[in-house]
Amino acid sequence: MTDLGQLLLAGLSVGGVYALVAMGFAAIYAVSGVLNLTQGEFAALAGLVAISASGNGFPLPLAALLGIVTVVVLALAIQRLIIAPVRRMTTLLSIILTLGVSTALKATMLLIWGPEGRGLDPLPGNDFTAAGVAVRSQYLWILGVSVVVAVAVSWFYERTLAGKALRACAEQPVAARLAGISVARASLVSFGIAGLLGGIAGVLASPVYFSAWDSGLALGLKGFVAATLGGLTSIRGAFMGGLVLGVVESLVAGYIDTGLRDAVAFVVLIVVLVARPDGVLRRQVAARV
Amino acid sequence: MARGREWIGFAVFAVLLTAFPLVAPESIVDIGVYALIYGIAALGLSLLMGLAGQVNLGQAAFFAIGAYTQGMLVTRYGVALPVAAVAAVAFAMLAALLVGLPLLRLRGHYLALATLGLGIIVTVAATESDYLGATSGIYGIAKPEFGGRRYDSAAEFFWLLAPVMFLAVLFARNVVAGRIGRALGAINDSEVAAECLGADTFRLRLQVFVLSAGYGGLAGVAYVHWIGVVNPNAANFPLSVEFLLMAVLGGLGSVWGAVIGAVAVEFLDEGLRDVIPRLIPHASGEVQLIGFGVALTAVVLFVPGGLYDLWRRAVTRLRRRSATPAAPSGSTVDTTDETPVLSRPDRPAPGTTLLSVEGLVRHFGGVTALDGVSFDVRAGEIFGLIGPNGAGKTTCFNIVSGVLAPSGGSVRLRGTRIDGRKPHVSARARATRTFQNLQIFGSTTVRGNVAVGRHLRGRAGLLRAALVLPARAEERAIARSVDEILALVGIADAADRPAADLSFGRQRLVEIARALALEPDLLLLDEPMAGLSGGERADLARLLRRLRAGGMAIVLVEHDVEAVLALADRVAVLDDGVLIALGRPDEVRHDPAVVAAYLGLDEDDEVDETADDPVVRAAVRELDGG
Repeated sequence: MTDLGQLLLAGLSVGGVYALVAMGFAAIYAVSGVLNLTQGEFAALAGLVAISASGNGFPLPLAALLGIVTVVVLALAIQRLIIAPVRRMTTLLSIILTLGVSTALKATMLLIWGPEGRGLDPLPGNDFTAAGVAVRSQYLWILGVSVVVAVAVSWFYERTLAGKALRACAEQPVAARLAGISVARASLVSFGIAGLLGGIAGVLASPVYFSAWDSGLALGLKGFVAATLGGLTSIRGAFMGGLVLGVVESLVAGYIDTGLRDAVAFVVLIVVLVARPDGVLRRQVAARV
Repeated sequence: MARGREWIGFAVFAVLLTAFPLVAPESIVDIGVYALIYGIAALGLSLLMGLAGQVNLGQAAFFAIGAYTQGMLVTRYGVALPVAAVAAVAFAMLAALLVGLPLLRLRGHYLALATLGLGIIVTVAATESDYLGATSGIYGIAKPEFGGRRYDSAAEFFWLLAPVMFLAVLFARNVVAGRIGRALGAINDSEVAAECLGADTFRLRLQVFVLSAGYGGLAGVAYVHWIGVVNPNAANFPLSVEFLLMAVLGGLGSVWGAVIGAVAVEFLDEGLRDVIPRLIPHASGEVQLIGFGVALTAVVLFVPGGLYDLWRRAVTRLRRRSATPAAPSGSTVDTTDETPVLSRPDRPAPGTTLLSVEGLVRHFGGVTALDGVSFDVRAGEIFGLIGPNGAGKTTCFNIVSGVLAPSGGSVRLRGTRIDGRKPHVSARARATRTFQNLQIFGSTTVRGNVAVGRHLRGRAGLLRAALVLPARAEERAIARSVDEILALVGIADAADRPAADLSFGRQRLVEIARALALEPDLLLLDEPMAGLSGGERADLARLLRRLRAGGMAIVLVEHDVEAVLALADRVAVLDDGVLIALGRPDEVRHDPAVVAAYLGLDEDDEVDETADDPVVRAAVRELDGG
């Protein structure tokens, strides 16, 4: 029982990180149909920048903020320089383009920070044991922040006029333009949001899961799997998908074999794509809206 | 002419492959060996991306599957190299089949990401499995040895691999230029039109995906014999990116592009590994990836066609002046009215029921576009389908041709149910169509468009593409029948022009020619007269009569009511999704419900009462053809 509790907590914690990355995918895809494969690199970069800043004497909150801001600026630059110039963007083209960017980013991080992974100092708080389950305060930080961010972003996308305008761009680009919405601006905003989400994921995850030049690859892919679970266009679906994936992974690693952890996501992806290409969680979400 | 030039290309390639190890220094030959090995994998990827429009971000997974299978078979089970190689390639293809079977039914980007995941799964599986040697992998794989000769130096290995590469390129060229490549090219232009001509999108894409994985597996086999060891890194992401960069940099779908790309990327790789540590002393690990990433993005942004495309454009620009326009062949449209054409011995006898539509219903959300429509079409008749805008004519057409599934009711073609199946099923049952909104294959010529219509009449698959000669005989037969049909429809003079350059009216004729190339028993024409000149209309009407005389059944949807009433043997009238009249043109012409439908009156209004109304008189005159 204690084991199960421990695994569930660990799963929810890592799931919170997946959820943040997944929401980043959905935030962009829902607006422009672009699949941004640099989403994982956003997290890795934010973590590494924050670690360097903190190592150079910046207080932790400031270092974290610096990491996040760097990534937001990078995300905006990617949209301006790489995505916006392409006239007839397709999802496949966006995959190849952002794959190129993410590869270059990985190698740049390798050049700057070297091959070893490292962790940011955890956010303040005491670890404790409840009902036999060892609770690290960083777990609670991850869960708490990801819930708050998820609520904020889904509120923005689903309840505010600006958010609805963003989604209108994906559904009816021409009509959106006629209604006075700038599709280019909407895409830029969505990249900014995705950068913010990736950055937050990076600084939150770093103390527990470490940041390295190549940690974005698996993280990005798992975020994508989580977003697919939620139907790829739904913020709430992506959030739920992240938590579900984290828990399933943790249970498989705990009860079957630790080495299989990384394979779980892709088995889940293939099963989901075959069984329910529109996402497992989509119907529930659609029913509520 | 074009073919001759192509063979020159292959001859030059063969000479280059032979001479390279003789003239290049050892270290460069070494890079050349890697370019050959990786180039084979990139060639497969280029076929997949260029032809099937799909991306595989895990080509390294198939590469690793090939390498591991080969390594296991050779070291543990003592299987002879060629036998093991066949098994290894087959195993990689089997893996692709299992992945592609479910995923290729979905839209493109899911395959891309699932294959990316596959790369990770293969890495994890190889790392975790003691059977596969865990992290250290499989080692001790010997250099190949044939007839007492050991291929252990870079030059020797290069020469061993050169014929493999040559055949791989030749095979790829046959796939691109042959029946499968043509159909996939058409699918990329217009999926619905290609399917209506019998191309099975899913099957074709799956074939190319499996083939491309086979190329990946073959590269893995070559790799493992050159390096002598394979470990989980073989399935790794950076290698997949490298393959992708080779394919994209060279130019997608062009066989030479992948070769050029492989050479360019290998030298880039080597150069970067050399230069980066000199610039940045602490650099270690896969830092050359930075160049790959930048190059990949830059190529997609600035040179989407790749290096091969750049070169070809430069050549075309030089040649343009000297090109002579094709001599126009004289119009061969026959003036005699009813000579049968395109008849077929085993076609159903005229008058027997060919198409049988029963109780067809189709809803779009809350709108009922078709509500219980039933009619039969007999062999050897022209059947008109008319009705006001929004009456459901095109919906009816879409269901009969398999483009749409009905909400209820059935469609039978010669007794076999075809409703709700894909368009290529209808095409296989010899029913095909043209489109009101033109669906021309814009990337090819008029001749190329019509050749797609021969898809089902040819049989050359992947295997036959490998055996060059039978496929060429079939290509010649296709060329002959395409010429006949072009002459029949009266567009032979435009045969070699890009189809997209033709006027709308002539594009309509291209669609008709394309449909006729299928040798259909049932031909569905959606507004064929729109955009045609008076003379062309008369020619088309004559052609349709001759086709009817040949035993073909033709269904016409037309806005030009007069044209339909003059041409058709029977006419069905749809209004608001309901069949309101069905009969000979003279019966339909005076049917009160039809007159009312064209005026927007309710059916229970007495037409006679309004017969004095000038608007009604005008409408009746139009129906009367006055």
